[in-house]
Amino acid sequence: MKREYWQEELEVLHRNELKKLQVERLQATLGHAGRSPFYNKVFQQKNIKADNIKDVEQIWDLPFTTKQDLRENFPYGFLTMPKKEIVRLHSSSGTTGNPTVVFHNRHDLDSWANLVARSLFIAGVRDTDVFQNICGYGLFTGGLGFQYGIEKLGALSIPAGAGNSLRQIKLMRDYGTTAAHAIPSYLGRLYEVFEAEGLDPKKDTQLRIFVIGAEPHTDEQRRRIEEMYGVKAYNSFGLTEMNGPGVAFECEYQDGMHIWEDAYLVEIVNPDTLEPVPDGDYGELVITTLDRQAMPLIRYRTRDITRIIPDRCKCGRTHRRIDRITGRSDDMFIIKGCNVFPMQIEGILLKIPEVGSDYMITLETMNGNDEMVVEVEVKKDWFRGDIRRLESLTRSITAQIRDEVLVKPAVKLVEAGSLPKPEGKAVRVIDLRNGGIKN
Amino acid sequence: MAYEISIFLENKIGHFKRVTTVLKENKINIRSIFINDTANGWGILNLLVDQPEKAYEVLSEKSISVALREVIALEMKDETGGLDDLLLQVAQAGVNFNNAAGRIIEATGRAILILDVPDYEETIEKLKKQGLKILDDSTVYGRQNESN
Repeated sequence: MKREYWQEELEVLHRNELKKLQVERLQATLGHAGRSPFYNKVFQQKNIKADNIKDVEQIWDLPFTTKQDLRENFPYGFLTMPKKEIVRLHSSSGTTGNPTVVFHNRHDLDSWANLVARSLFIAGVRDTDVFQNICGYGLFTGGLGFQYGIEKLGALSIPAGAGNSLRQIKLMRDYGTTAAHAIPSYLGRLYEVFEAEGLDPKKDTQLRIFVIGAEPHTDEQRRRIEEMYGVKAYNSFGLTEMNGPGVAFECEYQDGMHIWEDAYLVEIVNPDTLEPVPDGDYGELVITTLDRQAMPLIRYRTRDITRIIPDRCKCGRTHRRIDRITGRSDDMFIIKGCNVFPMQIEGILLKIPEVGSDYMITLETMNGNDEMVVEVEVKKDWFRGDIRRLESLTRSITAQIRDEVLVKPAVKLVEAGSLPKPEGKAVRVIDLRNGGIKN
Repeated sequence: MAYEISIFLENKIGHFKRVTTVLKENKINIRSIFINDTANGWGILNLLVDQPEKAYEVLSEKSISVALREVIALEMKDETGGLDDLLLQVAQAGVNFNNAAGRIIEATGRAILILDVPDYEETIEKLKKQGLKILDDSTVYGRQNESN
């Protein structure tokens, strides 16, 4: 059987040609970037000119861009064009500090939708599929990002949103859903609801493909999901700063994720020295956008640790593959599909004198559900012996953290002095989840 | 005016004992105990002791979260129905309370009911109007029995 492609000419483009395309697009990207207040300043200081770029390796001479840069230049410091041209923004959560925001013009949205469509296509999704997108819509990129990709591909989309498992199952059965996107931890929970309803997804649905991602999981977890539902489950990778979904995706061989090198210039660097590492070695993933106009990013440090899989994939596509994300070069963690920085939680606790700023976050799997337990100390000077006050304090901290990181924590009060004190680099997060990835 | 001490305690092996050891080392006598438990792995230990101020100080020195709380002590008869009679009067006075603890004064035929109330001043007025006697602190703490 002849292999099908979404964009054959691009997907199997000879690597020399691919590099030429990258150089052209890098020049164009630098041209766009130079019109943003942030890069304009950087380029002037470092005397960077788009025309001087003749080779992709010259990317090593350009400065990195960090999340900190995005925050410090919030909201419009990276914008290359008037707001009139911008049609959408996506943003990280956050009520304290500056969120990470990314702006798109029409070209950017089209390009993104195409990358998502290409990604779904290589995982086997076709225009004959009924695709249920089980994830939050809104500022989060997984909702609209997949939505536009599914529509571009031509499959029938069901914008189901997150949660409400009984409704998810009903949608699957009413409309004969064949493909779905969800975070892996949710699929475990959803299966329990199937069982409780006396249903077997293998017999009682027409599911054949799951697209999973947005949170760390192991290959064993993937195989378990495949067995439970009788489907093929494909890993995916994306981040808001790089549009969202559609950055890297597994093909039929399920052996690493093809990163779309016509749209993203990939580097793996040693997170300490920031020097490039050879293909096959683990390091921090650094990405430069090659097809974004409104808000290009140059050498953006994703903080995700992975490696380039050195060999050519059996599928014949020339775009290299990245391995599963094995950790982070900062302290961010992902739970229930949400990115959480301990600093966000610390910021909330600092404002509550009754508990002070010592805290410990434990991620654990309880009855198949991932939980974020936040332990805080009851400070001696503020203790009045009033049980109601402590209970309402617990509720208030729970609500504030949930509003900030979009995950409801289990807040536990502990005795003063029982949590480790910050000495140098304190360990604030313990990951005990099944298949949890340690930093 | 009488005080109880309230201590924040995690529900973990040995944590209660940490408190009692400090009290023992400082020769502080516990007169009554009441634990307010929650479903969240912690509770509040309320103790009536013979020297509440000292207990507060020595526990604070050990970095234990402790608070001194004003409580109201009422006298009742140490006999069947004694508490029921007293609670009738407390109810007639229109007083509601969060916690209560009781203990017997040895060899007197009397007992004490300790009430932890949300509004201390207002409650005292109500109880006095009802004709109830508020006990002084030395009776509450049982200091006359210190030699035992």
